[in-house]
Amino acid sequence: MSLQLTKSKALAFSLPALIAILPFLGACFYIFRFSISGEQSRIEGFSIQPYVDLMTPYFGRTVWLTLRLAFIATILAMLMAVPLAFLLTSLRSPFARRSLTIVILLPLILNLLVQAYGWILLLGPSGVLNSTLRSFGIIERPIFLLFNETGVLLGLVQTSLPLAVFPIVSSVRGISREHLEAASSLGASHWRIFFDVTVPLLRPGLFGAASIVFAFNASAFAIPLLLGGRRVQMMGIAIRDMISPLFNWSGAAAAGMILIFVTMITMLFAAWLARITSEKVER
Amino acid sequence: MTFDTHLHIENVSKKFGTVDALRDVDLKIERGSFVCLLGPSGCGKTTLLRIIAGFEAATKGRLILDGQDISNQPPHKRGFGMVFQSLALFPHMSVARNIGYGLKLRGVKGAAQRDRVEELLDVIRLPHIADRPVSALSGGQRQRVAIARALAIQPPLFLLDEPLSALDAQLRDNMQIELRQLQQKFGVTTVLVTHDQHEAMMLADELVVLKDGAIRQSAPPSQIYNDPADSFVADFLGAANLIEVGAMKGGAIDLFGTPVKSTVPHQDGDKMLAAVRAEHVGLTPVANDDHAGIGAISFMRDLGAATEFVVAIDGKNLRVRRSSVEAQGLDVGSKVALTFDPALVSLFKAA
Repeated sequence: MSLQLTKSKALAFSLPALIAILPFLGACFYIFRFSISGEQSRIEGFSIQPYVDLMTPYFGRTVWLTLRLAFIATILAMLMAVPLAFLLTSLRSPFARRSLTIVILLPLILNLLVQAYGWILLLGPSGVLNSTLRSFGIIERPIFLLFNETGVLLGLVQTSLPLAVFPIVSSVRGISREHLEAASSLGASHWRIFFDVTVPLLRPGLFGAASIVFAFNASAFAIPLLLGGRRVQMMGIAIRDMISPLFNWSGAAAAGMILIFVTMITMLFAAWLARITSEKVER
Repeated sequence: MTFDTHLHIENVSKKFGTVDALRDVDLKIERGSFVCLLGPSGCGKTTLLRIIAGFEAATKGRLILDGQDISNQPPHKRGFGMVFQSLALFPHMSVARNIGYGLKLRGVKGAAQRDRVEELLDVIRLPHIADRPVSALSGGQRQRVAIARALAIQPPLFLLDEPLSALDAQLRDNMQIELRQLQQKFGVTTVLVTHDQHEAMMLADELVVLKDGAIRQSAPPSQIYNDPADSFVADFLGAANLIEVGAMKGGAIDLFGTPVKSTVPHQDGDKMLAAVRAEHVGLTPVANDDHAGIGAISFMRDLGAATEFVVAIDGKNLRVRRSSVEAQGLDVGSKVALTFDPALVSLFKAA
């Protein structure tokens, strides 16, 4: 008898999870239905007017800003995550490994609000950094690191870093020392080994991590709200504004659909990129 | 025959922290020969191979290849083809790209590379798998691809780290023959690490037995088999009886009634061990046990061509292996006389 779960048993045990997901799918459908509603405040009739109303330079800038910030934050988080993943897998002592794991995981454990206020205390106009620099007479007026794009980027990179590190860690673990030594014995220098063996073997993990991080950053709400200071209008903020002061429910639903759509397009593009680059390696 | 040294491992020692992994290993490897490093786990055989490959640096000593000191050369400059225990085929490359990787690094590209890869695939008798991913290959096929990848670069030295240990017994037997034939075809100087004495006997021109980081004996397999240097080598090479035979008297010991002269100088009074292989013990049925050298069969099993016995004699158990014809009429409890050919008995001083 097989010790693996049979398909039917696995399905049975998955039922609670599937049932839990159902309301979410329902909500998604509800949002989709609202986005093509003829009325702004209730679902009635059909119209593409909510989408048409979004075709403004203002909303265009919001989409562009969202994609741009999410993309830059993803690149920065990945650049920081790769060395961290190598460090984490190279640590021999279980204590050191566990400590570093906890430090990396901290942003997921800590409340976002607490983290944002931490940044404000540290980097805000009257925060630790500015008051120190001022007391040494290095600057006269505070430098604005928060409540602008820099602040939002900082927050996005910091909160999404753990999501980048752990998928990369598992693909770093998949590279054995013998793979690297085999390349070396065949005549490859350190850099060649990195580009010919390490990077291709990491590639699936890199694209996987980047996709998660990008989706997380593109849909960010709390970080641009708290660290953007109303000046950085990412899509999450724009959607909230349509609902709360404007009561434009159908517009918010349409903007939400656009956010889901562009995120999915980007992820499909990443998957396609992963596939064609690995095919190039195969032959 | 002149001895043409290809690689001289000159007094190499290796310490890991305070642990001596290798102690003053000095070994000359002849050009074109097949050398097996044999020993139990932790004997330093893999460390020695990794030092030859350049993945570890010796704490002391030098490596001289063709008269040149290569001790400080990084592995990718040495260009020794190596087959790893895990084989370490690149999973993101096709078979052809795996075999061609070393060639690519040497600037052999396009059709020239393709031709060379095809040639090697013919040699390993897998002509039609060039474009398959390595994940689609069987264990034996992967084995051959790993060997072809290492030989593709025409390495001065061919190194193998227990490459056959993951295969099942029958496939391993076939691969041993194939490996030996390939090595002879390419004429490449080869060093293989193994803990399997049968594999070592089968493959080696020169067999190096290591224990605790030191060479115990280095000689052709038949010599090691018939004339082991010490009791460890005799024991490790398998199926040998090690018998405490008491003190030496008049330059000889008494082995259950057979006097055996020592070929090496030992003092009278030294406590001795005799090593004799199971197949080198003669066995004849007797009716009574009124003289020395008589024991009783305590266990026997038929192995097909041969029968193996355990004979209890003077409070010791000896393993004896005879052809099955001689086993007829014998049973557990039968009384037998054991006879020894003094020329096939090795004597060592007991520790």
